[in-house]
Amino acid sequence: MKKVDIKIHVNGDWYELAVDPGDRLIDVLRDQLDLTGTKEGCGEGECGACTVNLDGQAVLSCLILAAQADGCKILTIEGLQRGPELHPMQKAFVSESALQCGYCTPGMIMAAVALINNEPEPDENTIRKNLSNNLCRCSGYDRPVKAVLKAANDMKEDINA
Amino acid sequence: MGVYFQVEEYHRPQDLAQAVDILSRFGNRAKVIAGGTDILPLRPGVKKLDTIHHLVDISKLGLNFVKKENDHICIGAATDINTISASPLFLSGPYGALSDAAGAHSTATIRNRATVGGNLCNASSCADLALPLLVMDAMLVAAGPKGARHIPIESFFKGANFSALNKEEVLLEILIHSCSEKTGTSFLKLRRHQTAIDMAVVNVATSLSCKKNRCEAAGIALGAVAPIPFRAKKAESVLVGANLSKEVIRKASAMAAEEAKPIDDVRATAAYRKKMVAVLVRRSLENSMRRCGQ
Repeated sequence: MKKVDIKIHVNGDWYELAVDPGDRLIDVLRDQLDLTGTKEGCGEGECGACTVNLDGQAVLSCLILAAQADGCKILTIEGLQRGPELHPMQKAFVSESALQCGYCTPGMIMAAVALINNEPEPDENTIRKNLSNNLCRCSGYDRPVKAVLKAANDMKEDINA
Repeated sequence: MGVYFQVEEYHRPQDLAQAVDILSRFGNRAKVIAGGTDILPLRPGVKKLDTIHHLVDISKLGLNFVKKENDHICIGAATDINTISASPLFLSGPYGALSDAAGAHSTATIRNRATVGGNLCNASSCADLALPLLVMDAMLVAAGPKGARHIPIESFFKGANFSALNKEEVLLEILIHSCSEKTGTSFLKLRRHQTAIDMAVVNVATSLSCKKNRCEAAGIALGAVAPIPFRAKKAESVLVGANLSKEVIRKASAMAAEEAKPIDDVRATAAYRKKMVAVLVRRSLENSMRRCGQ
């Protein structure tokens, strides 16, 4: 097996890595970079627990080989926080009690952050469509949707303030 | 760390000649990878996976584009599906079905990676994007060691997960001839949960060109009801030349259901699929009519 040399930008830092050709992005994030905030659920693109942002778009890190991400900018849940303060999306998930066990939460938040970056004022229907690749088996979907609406509003006020 | 996906080598050709050279060298052991969303879920033991030893990444070949040229629209094979659903070129009139199908494909997250070429080359009978391209008579351009060749989309699908591409060929682009503004197209997809990620129980695309109320040309493509996506020619012939009354549309829909040869599977029974073909074709034809201003 021939290693693949890649250079990826993760949460603000460039990493030069040698990966196996069959390593998925999630394998490299979790096992080589110790970024275990990104979770693996189904491993086949159904559940969305592994969602990260790649060049500003929500993608499933279990459906991308690390070699495919060469040269790309990746943002994981660990990269959202600036200093001691949580990202507005994280705060909204906490204040709206949009999680129970929390396993789906990093993926849901990363899908929501990509949505807000591309469309700062999404309506409820747009949010539901964009989170439809993120399964939650305990808290349901109403609270996460409310949290995303709240975060969108908070982020708008932040910009206006 | 256990390797999840067993591959010997990952190739990153910088141009088409290199890609074709690698594919020619490794033949059946190599597979082109673009978005990867159809390849990565393959599991050990699944027969196709055991033969993939070399992945050939075509992301550096400049195949990610949508552009309008003189008398046709070109879509690069490695264009992601969200780009298609967002493109203003397909939002209205004669190309509406393509936008509908792109929006109904999987989920927004997967569509960021999944490509139109991948959807076609995977050659699934329920490939959403195949159906609008079938009714638009799209032409596919593939390149191999002997140069480029054009393949009409109708002869591209050969069997379940089996296309007309040779092992050493790469799909480059999809050409759609400009349709007249009198043409209206539509796509409908039935799945078990209409907003969730799932393959189609039945999907259909239709196109109609009308003058006053008289149908000049018609296209009906059916998915998930045969080993390949296909055009229901007998149903089309019911429409061409006829005045588009409710009765004629109903007759064409019933004919389409007769042409469907579905099977029972985990998603639905064959009998249910046949019934739904008639319903979806009727609704889709009505949509197409509205879109050509009738």
